[in-house]
Amino acid sequence: MRAAQVGVALAFALASQTTLVPRMTGVATVDLVLVVVLSVAMRQGAVAGLWTGTVGGLLQDALSGGVVGVGGLAKTLVGYFVGRFASQFDVDRLWQQVMVFFFGSLLHAGVFVGVYSLLSETAMLSSYMAALTQGGANTAIGVGAGLALAAVPSVEERQRRRKRRLERRFGRRAH
Amino acid sequence: MAVACHVLLISLQVNTASGVRVFEGVTFGLFAEVQRLVSGSVEQLSDLWEGYVGLVEVQAENDALRREVSELQLEVQQERALAQRARGLEELLDMRREVNFSTVGARVIAGDATPYFRTVTIDRGISDGVRHDSAVVSPEGVVGRVVRDPGPRAARVQLLIDRNAAAGALVERNRVAGLVAGEEDGTLSMEYVSNLDDVEVGDAVVTSGIDGIYPKGFVIGTVALVERGSGLYKTIQVEPAVEFADLEDVLVIVREPTPVGTSAGGG
Repeated sequence: MRAAQVGVALAFALASQTTLVPRMTGVATVDLVLVVVLSVAMRQGAVAGLWTGTVGGLLQDALSGGVVGVGGLAKTLVGYFVGRFASQFDVDRLWQQVMVFFFGSLLHAGVFVGVYSLLSETAMLSSYMAALTQGGANTAIGVGAGLALAAVPSVEERQRRRKRRLERRFGRRAH
Repeated sequence: MAVACHVLLISLQVNTASGVRVFEGVTFGLFAEVQRLVSGSVEQLSDLWEGYVGLVEVQAENDALRREVSELQLEVQQERALAQRARGLEELLDMRREVNFSTVGARVIAGDATPYFRTVTIDRGISDGVRHDSAVVSPEGVVGRVVRDPGPRAARVQLLIDRNAAAGALVERNRVAGLVAGEEDGTLSMEYVSNLDDVEVGDAVVTSGIDGIYPKGFVIGTVALVERGSGLYKTIQVEPAVEFADLEDVLVIVREPTPVGTSAGGG
């Protein structure tokens, strides 16, 4: 994924998080920006994960009711550590991706709640169940979106196929 | 990249004339327009999808009359939706006439960007008279207040059920005072009510006006649970009067109440 693609993915995640997710009661706990950060970190490594986490987290903070910087810090750390983990270990298989999304989400919840507990007395997550539910929702959407994207051929692949089809039909004219 | 980082860092620290950080102001202003666009598109797509599902169901019921019945059902649904919308707006209008405040009607265009907070974005901002701490109400009761400085055409509203929200409150029956605060599960708790006070399940809870944000006498909800607390105060759970999940149209109070006997100004 290039920087522009990551930017589009983050913008789409933010727009969906603020307009679509509140309408869907069942997935109200999902964090789509975190899903993008984890996906980028897994595929492109620590540095890309760190930057995606920083930009995505800060934008999310600016659009939410919380302290600006807390979400950015949490997503930066998660992006970096998940990227480091993915560069050290194999995360290509489905169950491995499930584990990364789930525990990445738990790590994010831990950092986010931890920083807020230092800043205020208000409890951010009243139960472990809330963190687990959020982890499950993020995992389902992250892995599902990954599978769906893998099933769709890339632009380059589509162009190659089209070129091959045209060549079969009309033969090679150039050269 | 390095220049962008520096601009980002600077904008995080520099405040605009109104006191809000440049980064927050620019991000919120720009994204509010995106949210307005996406919200409109989603509503149109939602209407289209519901209509299609309606047609499929009718087709299964009766092949012969499929087209006619489905079209009629679709029309009825559309009329019903229009009627509901009109009723909601009428209620808002009636309330606006009754209330001695200057208000502006607003539409909810987006929710919070994180799952941790309960805020919404409305399509009215500074240019409509909305200010930081403006109270937001609906025909059912108190919705919340405007947090941070609003943008020119949009503002962020902290719902009363947010974990950081609170309002001065009274039990309507006997004027017992307390503080209503948001809980994580979307309910409200009423705090600082003495164990000696008389509060019963079903009692209406209204704003006391003591916080200087919410006007006095607006409905917050009804008492759903009362227990004797371990300390000095009761444990009271309040069921909100407003259905926050279905929030669409609200009123923002943009000016102090006018003196009794004068007409309320519109916005």
